[in-house]
Amino acid sequence: MRTLKTSEAAALLNVSPNTLRAWERRFGYPRPQRSSGQHRLYIHGEVAALRDALQEGLSISSAVSRAREALTADTDSLVGALSSFELERADLAMEAALALRSLERSVEEVLLPTFDELSSRAGVDSAPWAFAARWADGWLRRAQRLSPAPTRNVSVLVGDATRDELDPDALAVRALELFLARAGARVLSLPVTGVSGLADVLEAHPPTFVVIAGAFVPDDHVARWAYQARSAAGPLPVMLFRRPAPSGSVRATARALPEGPFEAHRLALGALDETPAQKENRFQSGARRVTAARRRVGT
Amino acid sequence: MTRALHAVQVDSHGRPVEAFCGHCGRPPEASEGQPASRVCRRCGLGLVLQAPKGIAPQAGEPFLVVDSRMEVCAVSRKAEDLLGVPETRAVNRHISEFLIPAAAEASKPEDLLSQLVVAATSEEDAHTVVVRPVGEFGVRYRARIGPCGPPRAALVVLGE
Repeated sequence: MRTLKTSEAAALLNVSPNTLRAWERRFGYPRPQRSSGQHRLYIHGEVAALRDALQEGLSISSAVSRAREALTADTDSLVGALSSFELERADLAMEAALALRSLERSVEEVLLPTFDELSSRAGVDSAPWAFAARWADGWLRRAQRLSPAPTRNVSVLVGDATRDELDPDALAVRALELFLARAGARVLSLPVTGVSGLADVLEAHPPTFVVIAGAFVPDDHVARWAYQARSAAGPLPVMLFRRPAPSGSVRATARALPEGPFEAHRLALGALDETPAQKENRFQSGARRVTAARRRVGT
Repeated sequence: MTRALHAVQVDSHGRPVEAFCGHCGRPPEASEGQPASRVCRRCGLGLVLQAPKGIAPQAGEPFLVVDSRMEVCAVSRKAEDLLGVPETRAVNRHISEFLIPAAAEASKPEDLLSQLVVAATSEEDAHTVVVRPVGEFGVRYRARIGPCGPPRAALVVLGE
């Protein structure tokens, strides 16, 4: 994906950098990403779409609206490909989306809305849904395998409480895992139904925080799994993704994440930055804590 | 005494036209040495449009731009204040959500709409229709309606 610095994007649109920033505030478009140095990076496809729309527009607002419409064409294309069971065309639709957006935005703005549309068309217990969901699950897992190696000292344990890959929340959970991995975190995803041997896994991969994701598995099963995780790894921040807060004591400690995986991954990682001293302590003592906790519970 | 010569822009019928920003309403700033931009260099929030002289908004006059489907395409800063709606929320909505005819003798909404269609699609001269904002009573504006663009659209300038 090609990106542009503010000055380059401004030159392409024949406006000043200040105007470009004013558009971001007023119209929310084009929406830049941030470089590692927190500089704005504009996606070339978005800027080019706006440049074309400005030539035909009567106002900046209408041009922005038209540029946005041009970008949603990718969703229509993916819906069409999956509705006609053409997996190669679905791959191409995602390739086209990636040419205009970051991977995160391609998933959030094209892939996930496609499945909202498919679920309303065919229902989530239908064969067309299963066909499409299996493709998307494979696509997201492949993208995660291709993610760079972890760069942060953060390890996320995802307690997967979805039914299977056909669960309506499963794609959002895969997307969250992908975004966390691409943000440099180490991600370990385990089903909440597997309690036996959890301590052994967590000793090898001590988590920094836990995300319980999905609403299919009942609270009592999740509570059993969470207890086992806590016994093995000690008290950890617990966050809920696409899961209603349970009644009882867990509600007070578990933090609900937003429905959108991009915002959820940002908030989850941001929450760790709230208390740097605690974070540092957690990083240093993660492995020691697991061992001590195991000793306490006698495992 | 010396007089500077300046080019007068004309439309396809040879009528003089004026350029103005679709947001601030002011004439575009001269851009010597820079490639011409459709974006207003003064405010940066509107595109430069043209309308026949006499129809183009004068300083401080609120106005809207409506396309041939009767959808709002631009709302000037003054019109945003007047109608209480930002341009970003008004675009792509039907004009009748914002303005309706107010004069008793020409009170059918179709009269306003037909004037807008004529302005957005033909070369006829400007017409005046008395309008009021939807949901507001006792407030009237004499709306000057004529063509503008590019691309071709109807300009509604709200006068006292």
